[in-house]
Amino acid sequence: MGKDTHAITYPRFLLRVIGQSFEGSWRFYLWMTVLTAIALVGANAWAHQLVEGMRVTGMSDHVSWGLYIANFTFGVGLAAGAVMMVIPAYLYDDHEMHDVVILGELLAIAAIVMCLLFIVADMGRPDRFWHILPGLGRFNWPISMLTWDVIVLNGYLFINLHISGYLIYTRYLGRKPDRKWYLPFVFLSIGWAVSIHTVTAFLYSGLGGRPFWNSALLAPRFIASAFITGPAFVILLLQLVARLTRLRVGDGPIRTLTSVLRVTVLLNLFMLGSELFTSLYTGGTHSTAVTYLFFGLHGKSALVPWIWSAVALNVASAALLHLPASRGSRAFLNAACVAAFAGVWIEKGMGLIIPGFVPSTLHELVEYVPSMAEWKITAGIWAVGFMVLTIAIKVALTVLTGEMAVEPRSGDTRTGEHAPPLMH
Amino acid sequence: MTQTTRRVALKVLGATLGASAFAHAMEPLRAWSKDLSLDQFLQRHYKELTSEELAEGIRRLERETREEYGREVTIRDIRPQEGVQFGYALSLSVCIGCRKCAEACHVENNHDRRTNNSYIRVLEMDQGSFDMEKGDATYEHAVPAKGKYYMPVQCQQCDNAPCVKVCPVQATWKEPDGIVAVDYNWCIGCRYCEAACPYHARRFNWTKPEVPAGEINPDQGYLSNRIRPQGVVEKCTFCLHRTREGRMPACLEACPTGARVFGNLLDPKSEIRWVLENKRIFVLKEELGTRPRFFYFFDV
Amino acid sequence: MHASLHLPGAAVILGLLCVAHAAGCQDRDQPPGLRPALDATPIASASVHRPDKLSGVSTDRRDSLGRPIRAACVTCHSLRRPDALPTSTAELDEFHVGLRFEHGGLSCASCHVIGEQDTLRKADGTLVPMRDAMQLCAQCHGPQLRDYANGAHGGMNGSYAGGARVRNHCVDCHDPHVPAFQPSMPVLPPRDRFVAAPGTGEGAHR
Repeated sequence: MGKDTHAITYPRFLLRVIGQSFEGSWRFYLWMTVLTAIALVGANAWAHQLVEGMRVTGMSDHVSWGLYIANFTFGVGLAAGAVMMVIPAYLYDDHEMHDVVILGELLAIAAIVMCLLFIVADMGRPDRFWHILPGLGRFNWPISMLTWDVIVLNGYLFINLHISGYLIYTRYLGRKPDRKWYLPFVFLSIGWAVSIHTVTAFLYSGLGGRPFWNSALLAPRFIASAFITGPAFVILLLQLVARLTRLRVGDGPIRTLTSVLRVTVLLNLFMLGSELFTSLYTGGTHSTAVTYLFFGLHGKSALVPWIWSAVALNVASAALLHLPASRGSRAFLNAACVAAFAGVWIEKGMGLIIPGFVPSTLHELVEYVPSMAEWKITAGIWAVGFMVLTIAIKVALTVLTGEMAVEPRSGDTRTGEHAPPLMH
Repeated sequence: MTQTTRRVALKVLGATLGASAFAHAMEPLRAWSKDLSLDQFLQRHYKELTSEELAEGIRRLERETREEYGREVTIRDIRPQEGVQFGYALSLSVCIGCRKCAEACHVENNHDRRTNNSYIRVLEMDQGSFDMEKGDATYEHAVPAKGKYYMPVQCQQCDNAPCVKVCPVQATWKEPDGIVAVDYNWCIGCRYCEAACPYHARRFNWTKPEVPAGEINPDQGYLSNRIRPQGVVEKCTFCLHRTREGRMPACLEACPTGARVFGNLLDPKSEIRWVLENKRIFVLKEELGTRPRFFYFFDV
Repeated sequence: MHASLHLPGAAVILGLLCVAHAAGCQDRDQPPGLRPALDATPIASASVHRPDKLSGVSTDRRDSLGRPIRAACVTCHSLRRPDALPTSTAELDEFHVGLRFEHGGLSCASCHVIGEQDTLRKADGTLVPMRDAMQLCAQCHGPQLRDYANGAHGGMNGSYAGGARVRNHCVDCHDPHVPAFQPSMPVLPPRDRFVAAPGTGEGAHR
């Protein structure tokens, strides 16, 4: 195929991808309809927020970031953790992982899309988005950590779009992917994944006026928890994909990811404990946020149930993953994954962002409870994230299993089990 | 064949329904975009505006204030003076916590009336302690109360300002005379500066400010007390529309005890210099390295 | 308030202050907005305000234009043979009844002179006219005088950059009989979002 034919085949490929996004079983339609409905509720709430101002949120000048930034932070971790699939596959040459690496990358794409939406939802003036575009606006790089975040998040999005797009397209064409077109990007994405969550941690840890965040351990903690949520989500996703599609995945990837989880849940708890010890043993003004978070302060305790649920969930997942009984039981493993995912969602969300603001820098205790509008918008963005993920996986798998190709291969009934690995 | 057509028809129906539902969900945006003119959308950063563009922008803002608030106002762009570096000092021995400064700020700077917004927050502190955790900003009893002292906190106009560092779009910066200014027409409302400020000096416009026409201060500065738009961050500017013309900040003039001393740090004969050279001075949270321009002192 | 006696030093400073006033640097009326003249000592260009209460007392009457009527001290004091100065305000039974006096361990005679209602007497016996009451205050409140002379006490107004300024007199802010600031209710309680001041939150307001 000559170069010029890409000009024809690629748009045609995209068209078929779009067509494929609207094709599916009744389960698919039901799932997408529910997600669309939630997304629309969120979109409507966001429109109201834009018109009436952010007074519709529960935020204040004391707690100036809330649920949106909490979910943003978690989402960055999810995106970074998704690449956990790539490390064993390529750094440690685990061939079984090669089959499923693309799922991790698609998850990263969906998570980054969510992160960008959460940032837009949190902006007071989204109409001025162009002010933050390098070249067009006034990009305060390299001083502002937020500009670094813009670069690494969008860069990560493009890297993952490139890798998965390239691999799916070449498979669609029925060709063997050229290593030089994706392998460098795969390795780049590994480093980049670490950078997105590190930079996001630096957003907070660089603020000297907020002792709760101003800790050198914040970035390592972010990475550790990223490597919980990513694998936990992918373990669940792999089983779901195996049940709902014709792609067959061996036990190897799940085993590998479980091993990763076993380490990171403990590491995460250990680092949490270190932070707690340092704060509480020292005492004094710098520990008030921790005291407020875990025990409440001056009769105010909005976060106490949140953080203890997080601790309970994290401890439970660690226990489940290490119980001998859990080795052979998928039910145990799945429960552990759900607990770990939910635990980190709280810990890296409400448990991390809000106590940075309570007490305030003048030590006033003003509490934060998300408003209904914030819950709606947050649910809407999660729904969009799931829609992106669903469609991406659906399209990827139809190409992967050979259902969709540039020229229909007659009699090709290969399923994922027999199909050649996607990457080499 | 019929099944395929039915399927297509269903899809078209679904897509139409989805699109109209989306349009309906986004309906409120129409009211929002009505307020947003193209000029406003395209306006560049304060520092990049030519004097004609700035004058045009000011005319537009004055017109908008007339239309939306029913008041004729004058907005001026007052530039810093040469040879002036502002400094502010406050005597903790003298302040009685009456919050007249906060009120003067509220009036002078056209703050939202519903929220009693002010750039100054007065902390009532326990005598013999410097623990702000024992402070209280919402006290409602006669002052000065026994065993208490009072510490008003406002923007410290830091020389190493965390808020300026973190702003992703340079919507806030340090002026040559030491004032940390905000371009209300450039701020994207991310509130990173609010998170970064160690002094709770920044305020966000959670909604459009409400000020009755009769209460609007018509003497307005482009970078200071003009009525702020919804969704942007604002802060104390040492009343630069006053101080750049040699006048005192509104909070100082309102102080009934004379606790506040303001002036040009470069003038060796100024009161502020005398205070800095002869009093027991400290700055808030010195350990953070923010290098404030706002000083607290004790009388001995 | 410290009552340390820095009389000689205080007198020198005050003397300088008065000379500066007399020199009257009224020619510093530069238009605002210019660069400040760095040779200007703002305090030097200031004059001291002359409070009404140094020359009379307020009555509860008003004139035909609604302005409060003040009575000069001499209005009553010239008609009556002065009694001996009381030692405490409790002894005031006819005039100045109910006067509150909380000013250290002083008594009426510490400052006032019998029969000379427009004159005050310093600790060393020197008589000073009522309008120069600041000299009397200065004999005990040296640190305050020092701070006042340097602009760190007594408040600021006008221009920081050497423009015209009228400075407060001690008795503009302090009642000489009860010099400490009296407790009063603060204004403008914080009412920002979700601050728990009962009934004053934004939500309550709506």
